[in-house]
Amino acid sequence: MFKHLLFCFSLLSLFIVPSVQAESDSERVKMLLNEVDDLWRGQSSYAVTSMHVKTAHYERTMKMEGWSKGKEKTLFRIMQPLREKGTATLKSDNHIHTYLPKTDRTIKLTSGMMMGSWMGSHLTNDDLVKEARLEEDYTAEISFEGERDGQNIIEFSLIPGLDAAVVWGKLVLIILEDSHMPVIEYYYDEDMVLARTIEFSDIQLLGGRERPAVLTVVPADKPDEYTRFVYEELSLNVALKDSLFSLSSLKKR
Amino acid sequence: MNIFTLASRNVYRNRHRSMVTTLAMAFACTMMIVFAALMDGFAIGSEHNVVSMNTGDIQIHLPGYRDDPDIYSLIDNADSLVAQFRADAFYATERMFAFGLMASDQSSSGVQLRGVDLDYEPTVTDIDQHIMTGEWLSADDQHGVVIGKKLSKLLDVGLGDELIFVGQTADGYMANDSFQIKGILKSVSATIDNAGVFMSNGMLRELITLPAGAHELVLMRTDRTGDLTLRTEQLKTALGDDLDVMNWQQLMPVINRFLETAHIQTLIMMIFTYIAVASVVLNAMLMSVFERIHEFGIMKAIGVKPKQLIILIYAEMFIQTLLALLIALLAGSGLSWYLQENGLDMSSMADEISFAGLAFDPVWYAALTPNALLMPTLFLFVIAAIAVIYPTIKVAVIQPVDAIHHQ
Repeated sequence: MFKHLLFCFSLLSLFIVPSVQAESDSERVKMLLNEVDDLWRGQSSYAVTSMHVKTAHYERTMKMEGWSKGKEKTLFRIMQPLREKGTATLKSDNHIHTYLPKTDRTIKLTSGMMMGSWMGSHLTNDDLVKEARLEEDYTAEISFEGERDGQNIIEFSLIPGLDAAVVWGKLVLIILEDSHMPVIEYYYDEDMVLARTIEFSDIQLLGGRERPAVLTVVPADKPDEYTRFVYEELSLNVALKDSLFSLSSLKKR
Repeated sequence: MNIFTLASRNVYRNRHRSMVTTLAMAFACTMMIVFAALMDGFAIGSEHNVVSMNTGDIQIHLPGYRDDPDIYSLIDNADSLVAQFRADAFYATERMFAFGLMASDQSSSGVQLRGVDLDYEPTVTDIDQHIMTGEWLSADDQHGVVIGKKLSKLLDVGLGDELIFVGQTADGYMANDSFQIKGILKSVSATIDNAGVFMSNGMLRELITLPAGAHELVLMRTDRTGDLTLRTEQLKTALGDDLDVMNWQQLMPVINRFLETAHIQTLIMMIFTYIAVASVVLNAMLMSVFERIHEFGIMKAIGVKPKQLIILIYAEMFIQTLLALLIALLAGSGLSWYLQENGLDMSSMADEISFAGLAFDPVWYAALTPNALLMPTLFLFVIAAIAVIYPTIKVAVIQPVDAIHHQ
């Protein structure tokens, strides 16, 4: 009798366990992706970043400071070089305004300029506007888990949701299994051709915890070029007023 | 008796019918002259807009520049090349381009900056004469720009207004400067109208820190009557594969095809109109032949040869056609001349006429070319001659006895 009951139970568990497994799987994906998203963002943030751009025709470095609040509001201002100092970009909801100290003007970027390069880098203005959250805007699944190239990794495949304002066809994100640090992110265009990669490296103590301090964007069609962002300072969940993200604060130096 | 005198008497004898036939021919011919002049005017105007305003006869770029206008695709030895072309029976100029955002107080728009050589651009194109309001660029104004017609509407700006440019310099920095609108162009082409911002090439070079060289060399033959294809080929051979040499017919194939077929369109129109004329002529000549069969019988009986009768009928036709031609030439050339001077204002029908990237003025000017006069008149003779074949055969084969008894 007992034996029979045990058999029944184990039979039952055969049905139950996979669904429990699936449930915890998607929970886990959600948790891991949020963890990656929150690495640099949090509720609000302040950061000092240097950007190094190398192309076939020029190489340049600039330093900027930036504030963000939630997903919608971002403001950054160039600190160096002197030639561009004070140039500030405000992203508020889906609009980008740029303040140009040389001509003392604030201009609004139109949709036609969205695919243009931002500050000569390999990021477009559109990249700034459409900061997506991985977990909210993509349907994710773990496409690989285990050892690859001597590291234990988890590979996610992310397909944008139908209503997500995303220009990509697919994202592949690889994180370390133990520390959950992102390693590399592959961006595929709508034709599923690799468009660019972002590598994460130089894990450091930043803003109270370990995170990659260096992000390198490499366009797939020009493998010799890159844009590298180095976080020099980062504090998360700082108190920021909404008025900081206004046109009037764009001009302040 | 002289056949010609006889023919003119015959024409005069039934002067009402002759007049109607003649006027029908004259009217059709006049219409065709005006139509041909308008078509020629359109073709000449379009070619003028394409070639004399922007394209020039021949353009030279680095290979691939036209597909991907990369600011680094510069022809390094542009200066020496241009000097060389000027020594070789060409007017030549350099141009350079950049893209970016132009903002006014109200709005902003993506633009194509066009750096032109203020000394040599006017030798190649007439763009400096094509100003709607304001004036062309001048060397001593380092902030003046001339912009396209639709761009001025898009940005909601007028003469003297300030524009802010934001873009990228060739060395990766932000390019930013303010400019003042000195002039607004008339319609040139879709690209220039919607996005063209002209400035001196010195200003553009400084704005985007462009190294030496040019993106585009534009050539115009000093003598434009020769064979363009031949000269293009000669240049191609001389310059080799390092440079991409194309004439305007290759650069604007759609426009070229359209202009090539403009004559055929005139021809088709003419054929339809003249078929109607031919039936009028045929009808009139048949009537005049049938009512005179009795008379022709007598003529044959007294020894007039069929050949002479054929010549007689042809002479009658010839007199009427000649008369029609005189009227048509006078009326047609007069009307065409008027349209050449004053134009046909189409602005009530369409404000902007744009076709294959080319913009047209809403006022349509005719061009009274020799071709526009010659084609309709020659065709009228041919059509009239064909129309009287049947009546003449009828007269030629008729038996004198039958004819005399014919009632």
